Amino acid sequence: MKLTELFDKGEFVITSEVGPVKGCLRSKDGGAVPQCAQEAEMVRGHVHAINVTDNQSAVMRLGSLAASVRLKERGFEPVYQMTCRDRNRIALQSDLLGACSLGIDNVLCLTGDYTSLGDHKSAKSVFDIDSVQLLKIAKGLNEGRDMMGNALTQSTNLALGAVVNPNFEPLDLQLLKMEKKIEAGAEFFQTQAVYDPAVFERMTKKTEKFGVPIQYGIVIVKSPQMGKFMNENVSGVNVPDWIIKEMGSVSKEDRKKKAVEITLKLIREIKPMVQGLHFMPLGWSDIVPIIMKAL
Amino acid sequence: MIGTTPKPFEEISHALKGYEKVAVIGCDGCAKVCMTGGSDQVSQMVEKLKENSKNVVFALSPERTCYVDKTKAALDPLMDKLKSAQAVLVLGCGGAVQITRQVLENYGLTIPVKVGLDSVGHIDTLIMGELAIEQCQECGECILNETGGICPVTKCAKSLLNGPCGGAQNGKCEVDSERDCAWILIYNRMIALGESDKLRRFMAPKDYSKMAKPRRLNIKERRVE
Repeated sequence: MKLTELFDKGEFVITSEVGPVKGCLRSKDGGAVPQCAQEAEMVRGHVHAINVTDNQSAVMRLGSLAASVRLKERGFEPVYQMTCRDRNRIALQSDLLGACSLGIDNVLCLTGDYTSLGDHKSAKSVFDIDSVQLLKIAKGLNEGRDMMGNALTQSTNLALGAVVNPNFEPLDLQLLKMEKKIEAGAEFFQTQAVYDPAVFERMTKKTEKFGVPIQYGIVIVKSPQMGKFMNENVSGVNVPDWIIKEMGSVSKEDRKKKAVEITLKLIREIKPMVQGLHFMPLGWSDIVPIIMKAL
Repeated sequence: MIGTTPKPFEEISHALKGYEKVAVIGCDGCAKVCMTGGSDQVSQMVEKLKENSKNVVFALSPERTCYVDKTKAALDPLMDKLKSAQAVLVLGCGGAVQITRQVLENYGLTIPVKVGLDSVGHIDTLIMGELAIEQCQECGECILNETGGICPVTKCAKSLLNGPCGGAQNGKCEVDSERDCAWILIYNRMIALGESDKLRRFMAPKDYSKMAKPRRLNIKERRVE
């Protein structure tokens, strides 16, 4: 199921992210269920689709495509995340054909975190093409041709997603790129984590006219330490003091409860401005159903 | 210029192991500006080699060791000494090392040529004797006309052509918080020039065949072959 079909029907689209394991996800049956599949199970029935990250933070793991296919086999709708960091234009196009052949319906096209942020710091960064170009290329594959204009025996049929960071300064520069992504082929957007409804409002005032659905990106702050860490180490994200303070005001055992409360507060304020939610629970997938039930 | 940094002396020492008579060739071009292979650094290297029981048969710094003719002109008068050398240590960029090897081969001499520096790319001097930065990747299809004279291929860690990633914070790059985000620089520059609308244009993927190595420049016909 393409997410675009849901948006077209006016659905408020909910997605949640899982990061593939550093290891294999060999088959549906037998052996312990890997963390990423466990997390998917936690949100089953509460989300429309599951984003599967592509060697997130440049840390080498199971590939997004393989994990997406395995999750599809388990009855989930994956959003296959594809970054430009590790593969050139030949490999990216080939993987898009592969994704479609293996039953994937949704692709999220991203630039990718830089190599030096991960666990293989000396790897050669590829960045042969950028996310705007990737979207345009993916659109071309949907229309039956590769980026060089060569005809495909069978076109892809992928819903194309992209990302935008509402926190970015200057915002107009970020939105200039967002417009380029839409022109290139982006059909829906998921945002970077935002903790300030005013920041979201500032963006949506300018993006309403673009006419593309936007999902509010939610990274759940699990502890005051994590909030501080994100402010110091995760570029493009601002965790406000009130969240850090509130997370610090409760005992360790009550943090999940507090995180639910904070996240609900933010969602309630931001929900009227968006067409969906995108959770990035970073291991706390179990609180997604709690939040969704409370909404 | 071509930026260079010195290799640790231990590494040089290891490369010269087994060779007692050594010639040292620096470069009074780029390596002089980088203070890694000019006449002064060559003299310092000679002292160090002597302390390590090497017999330095001669030492010099051609004006530009990467020019075959200049290196040859510098070595011609030293032919006898050169013939006695068991190894040649070059304090120059990778190009200088290979041109030196070429000159020796042209003389019919098979002498190992060792490198004492690491080359770090095409770099431009901002503060003489202090700071040089990388600004150009020699990509073969310059887009500076489109980007306000600031190169995203070089100055953006991800070489993005269609605008910034989402990672900049306070105008700085997600890869290095000390470094300005190239796309914010480009944007501000284009606004100052009254040309920011030009950034809306889709920039097609680069033609990396123009960077296919090794490139060969036909200087007479002014084209890459």
